[in-house]
Amino acid sequence: MKEKVTIKYLILIYWTFFFLTGVIDKIVPDVYPFWVGADFYTLFIKLFASLDIKNPIYATITLTGVSLIEVMTFVCYLFALFSLFRKDENSSDQWFYRGVSLSILLFSLFTVGDQVFGDRFTLLEHSIFWIILVVSWVLFRHNSLMGDQSFQLLITREAKIGLIVGIALVIIISYINFGFSKNTYANKFKPVHGEEVVEGIYKFDFPFLADKRTLENTIRSFEIHHPELEINYLYTGPNELNTKKKTHMLLYVFTEEKSMEVNGFF
Amino acid sequence: MLGSLCSCFCRLFNRMINLDVEKTTKIKANRNLIRYLILIFWALFWLFNVLDKLVGGAHYLFVGKDRFAQIQRYFDSIGLGNPMVTNFMLMFTTALESFALVCFLGALYHLQRKNIESNRAWFFIGIVVTLTTYTFFSIGDQIFGDHSELLEHALFWFIALLSWIIYHRSNQFNISARFSVSKKSIYLFAAFTIIIGSFTSISIFRHNQIAFKERTQAVQAKRISANKYKIEFPFLAGSSAFERTIAKFKEQHADLRINYIYTAPKPMRLGQSDGLIIYIQTEEK
Repeated sequence: MKEKVTIKYLILIYWTFFFLTGVIDKIVPDVYPFWVGADFYTLFIKLFASLDIKNPIYATITLTGVSLIEVMTFVCYLFALFSLFRKDENSSDQWFYRGVSLSILLFSLFTVGDQVFGDRFTLLEHSIFWIILVVSWVLFRHNSLMGDQSFQLLITREAKIGLIVGIALVIIISYINFGFSKNTYANKFKPVHGEEVVEGIYKFDFPFLADKRTLENTIRSFEIHHPELEINYLYTGPNELNTKKKTHMLLYVFTEEKSMEVNGFF
Repeated sequence: MLGSLCSCFCRLFNRMINLDVEKTTKIKANRNLIRYLILIFWALFWLFNVLDKLVGGAHYLFVGKDRFAQIQRYFDSIGLGNPMVTNFMLMFTTALESFALVCFLGALYHLQRKNIESNRAWFFIGIVVTLTTYTFFSIGDQIFGDHSELLEHALFWFIALLSWIIYHRSNQFNISARFSVSKKSIYLFAAFTIIIGSFTSISIFRHNQIAFKERTQAVQAKRISANKYKIEFPFLAGSSAFERTIAKFKEQHADLRINYIYTAPKPMRLGQSDGLIIYIQTEEK
């Protein structure tokens, strides 16, 4: 296979899957098993509400319009990929060009929307995708100027060494990862041990695997182990108190001695 | 002393980028310099990603990212909480990253041995594996609904694609003339670096002496109404500073009970000049 065709395949596969998953995300608007995605409906409703357009029909129509452009874009990339697979490079180039033009138009519309809704971070995100699309198109078109270099997978001595080193790395790392998983998975449900940092105030340093279930188990366990204390306040340590990326979540539990019969937190 | 040091540096720098030869060789030397830089970047990039998987979790001198926790949480969110799913996905990711590392190391080895064809082939496979890895990650990001990660992975995909093109078009970048370094320039460069560098270093060390204690030091609370107090933490403050501040507050106000802490949200702070601000609500014991 030629290098330029391989690069074309990789560019097409990326954008085909990008828009395929984008379209699926619009078809599956909520959280389901095997799919979380982003809730674009809620996002559009909130964005339009910020413009004082409360009627949901406008957000719905806009989302439908955006989705239709995404569907057309996806179909263009799919046809380009199919044409390339059938070795019809001219047709593939044409379909890719249509797909990229639609994608660039779509991201240009998004950036206009971002400015109207005042979302500067999303504006940056969409501008980055816009430039990636423009450059993808240039590289897809002008890849061939680099020469029709062929690429063959030859099993040379060095390739064998590379393969052995790669497989050895995978085996060693996977062995360590399986062990790490076995040792740490229990942290997902195991209550966290609190440390009394100030009289009546306990600190809980949650591991990265922890979620709402860990929090609930931790509070339950704390109440069982400290029946004499009443939890009167929970404070989540803000990010500024964390040691950069090392801390997942800090929780402070403010307690006081029970003076009479009280109900538990959960 | 300084003069001989500068001329020695000048010779070393010129030798490093191979400039004291004729122009055609200069172009080749610079092309290879760019190629070395691209290959070293990708080799180190994947080496540290592989190391991150090898180390797992935060340790002394290496924090990295807990990939097991991250992927497990992602799969749990789509109803695949079994850790074996995470383990096999992590194994697949490790395989992609390890082979990308091996390919870039192979390309680096062949560039050093001046085997142009082999170098091209190893680099090409490395780029193909890298692009495949980021395509795979991007699909995952859409499924898990993480659009920040999608942007990050799209950028890496783009960087890999551009790296491939620049690597093979580097012969068109004639930057050799700009690399020439005369003795006068080196003296000026050294003088500026030493003067500005000294000011910068003195300022950093001075700030370290004054500010480092803020990391753990208790902060004084200011009373803003009958039962509310404000605490403004410095940027360096960590959890120890917070705990000591609360301990100090309780000690100074033994008659009061803290019944609520409100963290001032970012929009309420003055641009980037305010650190963490908390408000404590109290009541009489």
